[in-house]
Amino acid sequence: MTSAATTGGYETKDRISARALVGWIVGVGVWLLPLIWIDTTTYLILTVAGLTMGMLLFLTASGFTLIFGLMDVLNLAHGAFFAWGAYAGFSTLGLLNAIGWVETGTVSQSIYSLLIVLAVALAVGAILGLILEQVIIRGVYGDHLKQILITMGASLIMAEIIRVVWGPNDEVTLVPAALVGSWDFFDVVINKFRATSIIIGVGVFVVMQLVLKKTKLGIIVRGGVENREMVQAMGYNVQRIFTGVFCAGTAFAAMGGVMWSLFKEQIYPDMGSENLIFALIIVIVGGMGSVTGSFLGAIMVGLAFNYVAFLVPKLALGVNILLMAIILLIKPTGLLGQD
Amino acid sequence: MAELTPVQAERSREQRARFAGPAFLAQVLLLLALIVIPLLIPSFRVLDVLAKIIILTVAVASYDLILGYTGQLSLGHAMFFGFGAYSLALVTYHSGSPQLYHIPVAAGIAIALSVVSALVIAFFSLRVKAIFFAMMTLALAEFAHILAVQWYDLTLAADGVSFKLPGIFSVGWSAGKFLGVELNGRLVTYYFILISSVLLFAGLLRFVRSPVGRVLKSIRDNRQRAVALGFRTFRYETFSIVFGSTVASLAGILFAMWLRYVNPDSVMSLALMLNILLMVIIGGLGTMYGAIIGAAFLQIAETWLPDLQKLAVAFFPTNEIAQRLAERWILYFGIMFVLVVYFFPRGFVGTARQLVKRHKTAKKGIA
Repeated sequence: MTSAATTGGYETKDRISARALVGWIVGVGVWLLPLIWIDTTTYLILTVAGLTMGMLLFLTASGFTLIFGLMDVLNLAHGAFFAWGAYAGFSTLGLLNAIGWVETGTVSQSIYSLLIVLAVALAVGAILGLILEQVIIRGVYGDHLKQILITMGASLIMAEIIRVVWGPNDEVTLVPAALVGSWDFFDVVINKFRATSIIIGVGVFVVMQLVLKKTKLGIIVRGGVENREMVQAMGYNVQRIFTGVFCAGTAFAAMGGVMWSLFKEQIYPDMGSENLIFALIIVIVGGMGSVTGSFLGAIMVGLAFNYVAFLVPKLALGVNILLMAIILLIKPTGLLGQD
Repeated sequence: MAELTPVQAERSREQRARFAGPAFLAQVLLLLALIVIPLLIPSFRVLDVLAKIIILTVAVASYDLILGYTGQLSLGHAMFFGFGAYSLALVTYHSGSPQLYHIPVAAGIAIALSVVSALVIAFFSLRVKAIFFAMMTLALAEFAHILAVQWYDLTLAADGVSFKLPGIFSVGWSAGKFLGVELNGRLVTYYFILISSVLLFAGLLRFVRSPVGRVLKSIRDNRQRAVALGFRTFRYETFSIVFGSTVASLAGILFAMWLRYVNPDSVMSLALMLNILLMVIIGGLGTMYGAIIGAAFLQIAETWLPDLQKLAVAFFPTNEIAQRLAERWILYFGIMFVLVVYFFPRGFVGTARQLVKRHKTAKKGIA
């Protein structure tokens, strides 16, 4: 990955890529460090679990960082979209189960139901995002304080509506039959759903990068970030593009929510705000506005959490804060962040 | 006498005006009311609301220092409040038999804890963008909340810590009747809270009117100019954040003294943070006195709104969704939050000051 080099300035390119190289070597070193205390099989299982968690967190964090990087909006209601995605998925799975596709379905029915649920979550996230952007956020562009306050208020409202519609208690989510169980590679047990989510996460990352870097839309979006007036003068409707980016971000959060609910097999109204903290840490670690940064950050958080939870269970919650502190000490803007 | 600089002239004008005019009168009246009401109305509910308003005023004012005067959005203010509350609760609870000296010990612990953590937060987050501070404090506050919920051996987790206060503050203490009112531990605690809060509030007022406070305002209004004038903005901001957070932790101690019970949700949660935020905004950012109005408004609403909800339940006894809607007062809180930020961003005191200013300039225009 050459992202560190491409984000650097022209004249300092070589120095920065040398630094990035050192960073990568140290990073891989730390990644392999737990092998001293954990035997290889367990290490691999934990790695898969960590990657899964990382990918699920990435889905939420990527939308968060995209919205912040491109629109300069800190959307603290992002966690609420996560929860809404999970609850929408929960209801959809309930409907699909009624026609026998979920718990008793064949492989293809399971895959179809997963795809349907993901599509529903994406749609719910996008529609709610559209409403939030049009009704509430549009009036407060450029004012960070008001944005934070208003999105916090919105997240309260959204979480409360969940309680009103679905009730305040925990619910158990159904998992499509074909995704239950695991494969076994030389004693390394890989849960089917975990493998699926890693594939989906990487897929979303690749598509996001391709759209941002290779398509005309991506160029317009990046141009709009650099110089909004110029893009407007070229005849593009920047406002509409921003709305689109916002919806995409919230849709990914909702998708992350439904994947998370299938991973944990339970949902509760406050799941959104808990997840938002992970997203915040990831975005701070990765550098605000950088999708690649949040991808790396998500993997780091996921892996660190799983290794430490195995080695020193009591420290598991603190390790992410520790990780954040270390990264910020080395680079105050986060891994791939710019000033 | 030498010619005064504009700043000096402004300051002397301000000092002369401080003990005259309706604002000063209002302060004296408010203070008198807070002293007398508990003696006149011996209702526990009223006393409870008053004490909470007083304590929250200090917490909100200290938050106003950070947000309104320094321009940094901290989402971890409830964490500092919780540090204070928990240090008193844990010191008295784990010691077995509470002693009077435990209160200053708890205050010392709370101050040390908040100074260190505020310094760490400032050091990590103020070096980058302003928005970083908000994210960082939010993450840390949530972490502190999780810690309080999970660390059962120390904090008794979600069960909360119920503790007894020593000596004259204990519930059983009584000094007979005075003017027909029983002087008991509750009342002593109330006056202790009142005195401490007035002192803390005066300290905050002194802080924002000091030269440091002026520098902070200049940083908030125009950072580049402040830097160009040679002020080390990082130090000033750090100082303000540390001071505000410490005052919040002391307010937390008072809160714990009043309730004699703490749990993670009541003193550290994001809900409390949002409460404080809304109070600051309703009162008016950067006004200090707004804290009193904001705290009073929300606290009174919070105390008597549940009564209204019972009414709603009585009207729709069969509809489940309607009942759930009535139960969820946080929903209305959230809606109010958004509406206030949108339509009433200056708050009561800010709007009032704007009106007074407009009135004055209008008069000048006529003359």
